[in-house]
Amino acid sequence: MSTRLKAPERKASILAVAKVLFADKGYHGVSVDEIAKRLGVSPAVLYQHFPSKEALYEAALNSISEIRESYVSVILEEPSDFGSVLKRMTRVFVESVSNDPDYLRMELMSALEGAAVANQFFENRWRSFTDYIEYSIKELSKEGKVSDIDPRMASLMFQGMLREALYTKCILVENRYRDISLNKLVNQLLETFLNSIAYRDKQ
Amino acid sequence: MSNNQIELDATGLNCPLPILRAKKSVAGLTSGDVLHVIATDPGSVKDFESFCNQTGNELVSSGEENGKFVFDIRKA
Repeated sequence: MSTRLKAPERKASILAVAKVLFADKGYHGVSVDEIAKRLGVSPAVLYQHFPSKEALYEAALNSISEIRESYVSVILEEPSDFGSVLKRMTRVFVESVSNDPDYLRMELMSALEGAAVANQFFENRWRSFTDYIEYSIKELSKEGKVSDIDPRMASLMFQGMLREALYTKCILVENRYRDISLNKLVNQLLETFLNSIAYRDKQ
Repeated sequence: MSNNQIELDATGLNCPLPILRAKKSVAGLTSGDVLHVIATDPGSVKDFESFCNQTGNELVSSGEENGKFVFDIRKA
């Protein structure tokens, strides 16, 4: 029998279990009964905290998508050229995501299932990168320090590259890249990205 | 001698751009000058607190006006 928890603790424990199950099986693959069973409580207990499965799913997605890295230290550290800052931002993000791969699974699932909240993943996690890359490339382009590339294409290229590296190492665990660590893989991809935009402002 | 106040419009910019712009703006100020920042990213509230803690500049005020976040930062 489950121990009696106070309301906020119970709510948090429901969310934690729901997050893992939704990340694993998607919205349609999980029932309220299954979540309740995993928690060792009756479905009625779940409904006391969340009126429906939809509400629980949305709360679980929100709890993940609201996480946002702070890049203040990354900006204040030296060297402060574009390539160095982008590398530090990426390191912070990769560390955070690899510590909680459920984030990636939920992101994929929510996109496939068309959840309205899917856009929040982009706004909270990826937009820092796309905005920073686009802004910086526009500035660097004026000084002739990058190739004549559309900033939106560059940020899309970066996003696709980093996402795929995270999927490869954190979700799929592909044999092909087994011999290379996530950090090494990301570092090499970053170099490839900077070379591809002909970045020449290294400090 | 009076201190200058410089305005930085960071509306529409997402983290880390407001911090990046503020860092550059503060670098051009002299001690005692105030940077007035206007931002729309809700994350900027925490970010500017952290910015001031880490740089030693003073966060004179932090508030919300007409749906925008405004900060006054005095250069140390």
